[in-house]
Amino acid sequence: MAASGRDAAAGQGVDPSEGKTDPGRGRDSSAGKAGQGLDLSGSPGGAASGRGIKPRLKTIRTGVQLICLGLFLWLFRITDYTGSDTIPWAVNIWFRLDPLVGAGVTLATRTIIFLLWPCLVVIGVTLVFGRVFCGWVCPLGTLIDLSGRFIHPKKKLRVQLRFLKYMILIVVLLSAFFTVQLLGLFDPLSLLVRGMTFSIDPLFNFLVTGGFDWIYLNGPTWLSNQTEAVYDVFKSFLLPYKQSFFFLSVFSFFLLVAVFVLELAGRRFWCRNLCPLGAMLGLVSKISPFRRIPARACKDCDMCRTDCPMDAVNERGQIMTEECSLCMDCLAYCPKGITTFQFKGSLQKNLPDIGRRQVLAAGLLGVALPVVIRTDALTRVPAPDVIRPPGALAENDFLAACVRCGECMKVCINNALQPLFLEQGLAPMFTPVLVPRLGYCEFNCTLCTQVCPTRALQPLDKEQKHAFVLGTAWFDKNRCIPYAEQRPCIVCEEHCPVHDKAIKFHTITVVDDQNRVTALKQPYVRQDLCIGCGICENVCPVAGTAAVRVAAKGSMPDTFGSGTSYP
Amino acid sequence: MNRRNFLKQVTLWSAGILMVPPVFDIGPAALGAEKDAVPDIFAAKGKDISAMVRQLVDAMGGMEQFVNIKDTVVVKPNIGWDRNVDQGANTHPQVVTALAELALEAGAAKVLVFDRTCNEERRCYQNSGIKPALDAMDDRRIACEYIDDRKFVPVKIKNGRSLTEWSFYKDALTADCYINVPVAKHHSSSGLTLGLKNAMGVIGGRRGRLHMDLSARIADLNLVIQPDFTLVDATRILLRNGPSGGRLSDVKIMDTLIAGTDPVAVDAYATTLFGLEPADVQSTKEGFARGLGQMDLSRCRIQVFDT
Repeated sequence: MAASGRDAAAGQGVDPSEGKTDPGRGRDSSAGKAGQGLDLSGSPGGAASGRGIKPRLKTIRTGVQLICLGLFLWLFRITDYTGSDTIPWAVNIWFRLDPLVGAGVTLATRTIIFLLWPCLVVIGVTLVFGRVFCGWVCPLGTLIDLSGRFIHPKKKLRVQLRFLKYMILIVVLLSAFFTVQLLGLFDPLSLLVRGMTFSIDPLFNFLVTGGFDWIYLNGPTWLSNQTEAVYDVFKSFLLPYKQSFFFLSVFSFFLLVAVFVLELAGRRFWCRNLCPLGAMLGLVSKISPFRRIPARACKDCDMCRTDCPMDAVNERGQIMTEECSLCMDCLAYCPKGITTFQFKGSLQKNLPDIGRRQVLAAGLLGVALPVVIRTDALTRVPAPDVIRPPGALAENDFLAACVRCGECMKVCINNALQPLFLEQGLAPMFTPVLVPRLGYCEFNCTLCTQVCPTRALQPLDKEQKHAFVLGTAWFDKNRCIPYAEQRPCIVCEEHCPVHDKAIKFHTITVVDDQNRVTALKQPYVRQDLCIGCGICENVCPVAGTAAVRVAAKGSMPDTFGSGTSYP
Repeated sequence: MNRRNFLKQVTLWSAGILMVPPVFDIGPAALGAEKDAVPDIFAAKGKDISAMVRQLVDAMGGMEQFVNIKDTVVVKPNIGWDRNVDQGANTHPQVVTALAELALEAGAAKVLVFDRTCNEERRCYQNSGIKPALDAMDDRRIACEYIDDRKFVPVKIKNGRSLTEWSFYKDALTADCYINVPVAKHHSSSGLTLGLKNAMGVIGGRRGRLHMDLSARIADLNLVIQPDFTLVDATRILLRNGPSGGRLSDVKIMDTLIAGTDPVAVDAYATTLFGLEPADVQSTKEGFARGLGQMDLSRCRIQVFDT
């Protein structure tokens, strides 16, 4: 639609350069445009056709956006084992640049975390230039802009919801102050990385490999030889190393999709109305001297207000600097061509678009919510299945520091780390736990501790990792083959990676049904040696639930059923 | 029958034919093949691994004996664990590279090196030193690739006693020459893991399920996987805490390689390095009982080289 709108508008002669010489005509055509419900501002990438430096700024902005998105995607892809025990790049840099993460984690943990200092750069840039992060850098913002090519707002919402993002910001930061960390639910980067890790990336890999596999398995050889060559290229550059599977793939998928569906209610809906990071940067940008000139819409033209993708011009025609993402679109569409961005803005007097009562309500919620979450009985229920990744802080400190960014789950080479849902209440949602039956913690691997941006997982060297206790394994003699069936097995013992094996066995003599006397090895766990990596549970050949299960430190597995006696 | 119905039927029927998994039929002739009455066992002792490998292969009549021009050669080491070379849980990389080199010299078109690992495969390939060593050879004819799950095909094991069907890796079945390169080490279930046990690395499925009758099933697997020759890496052997090991105090330096075309005889001889008798390893006994080879060392010609 945007394209046809552009064509139609061009047909009417709404060329920025032409508008410059004939403002009256520009106004006429803009009125005509409004009548036809066309969208001249177009989408990013649809670079303005005009001449001169001003429209070109928009093209540059689009270029910067695409570069940042490319960087984001590349870092996402290499968040994986690459043949080295250490991750060579700062793959978590996006979260370390995120001032919302910086503020939330600092408040909740009451510690200064050196790793998060890069976020001061974003604060600094915002102080000088305003919300450029939103308009030029944020990968979610760029994806939303790109989606504008396919998703077109049905109708602009009548009500203004700008205040919502400030409310969310207040609730999130107050909760963080009361050590309940909710920012992961709303932080745009967490939302994006989680959605991509849990659903988009597995989906992409599934579809692509599924197609190639089908041809490989069913197609003729001459064809599969060709497709396998293409497949190799895909595997080298685009696809993850292997198919991953995640809990909450559906939920995360729809959370992410919702951000794009909201575009139907207006462009950059998420950024304008919901994003707490946008709210935070908006408040910082109030001091920025880099402003759009003129600071208000012209009396005879309404285009600034109607066409601004950030809806940064209020009903009185004033530009709200805290809403402006400096996308430079208005340079291109201004019919008079008089807009510029300059370092001469005086401090704006107008306050952010949020009422006193709304601030008060958010404040009250920010105080009440942490307490309500804390008093949820679910937080008191024993949790033997909540096995935290290696290097994890003590549970409460971990919950305060973890921003649910999903990096640890992305990097886990055995797809062993999975997100919690509401098993432990609302607060730990999306935090990582080890699910050994799906994947075990690789003995020599420390990647998750390296990618954690907030030190919720403390960095461990190999020796520390070997000694770090995630949980403890327990045998269920009712299911374990050498006990229950009196037949040999001890696959668990073979795989136990601890150098003095934590799984030992007694050799007993049994007489089988043919009266043969044979030796039988019956395993048991040395609790003082077990680190809870879960490889025993993972490889246990018993069908269904394993006969040896890992439980979190200080607890015992709870699903062995009644009547079980533990060794 | 209208056209739509006709097309539908054709699609369904041809789909049915295409989707039937191929079943590899191993003929009884191959299964019961008569082994040498008096098999040769060659052992080399020394520090220069490449030279030892060369000496052993020469002693067996040279690589040309096993590899023809344009052949696809499988070199199957043990890359099972995320352990380094010194920890002795995987085959020494120099043994693998030396064999790959010899195979290429003999005219092999392709040398495939793979193993289905127990730990995460990328870490095993990397930290065993095998993939870096092969990559350093920088030869396009050498492929050190991870297991591709699509390549497992079900095989009926006709003379199998404990196992009658299991899935095997296609590349291992179709190779023109299959060289088995295990590492000799302690194994808590089977006593020791040597050449016969190394066949576990080319099978699919949930391998833990074989442990209920492990030795008999290892022997059954070897009815299908019959290496052209076996070369046991005993440069260092894991005495305890096998098969995964990890502790250097459990490793003993032996500086020995053992080779032979009789897989049972080679295993029997390797057992003696641990101070055990051939009959102490159940899989060797089972292999002998299946007619896979000779386990009585007094009926073997043993030649030891000092390299």
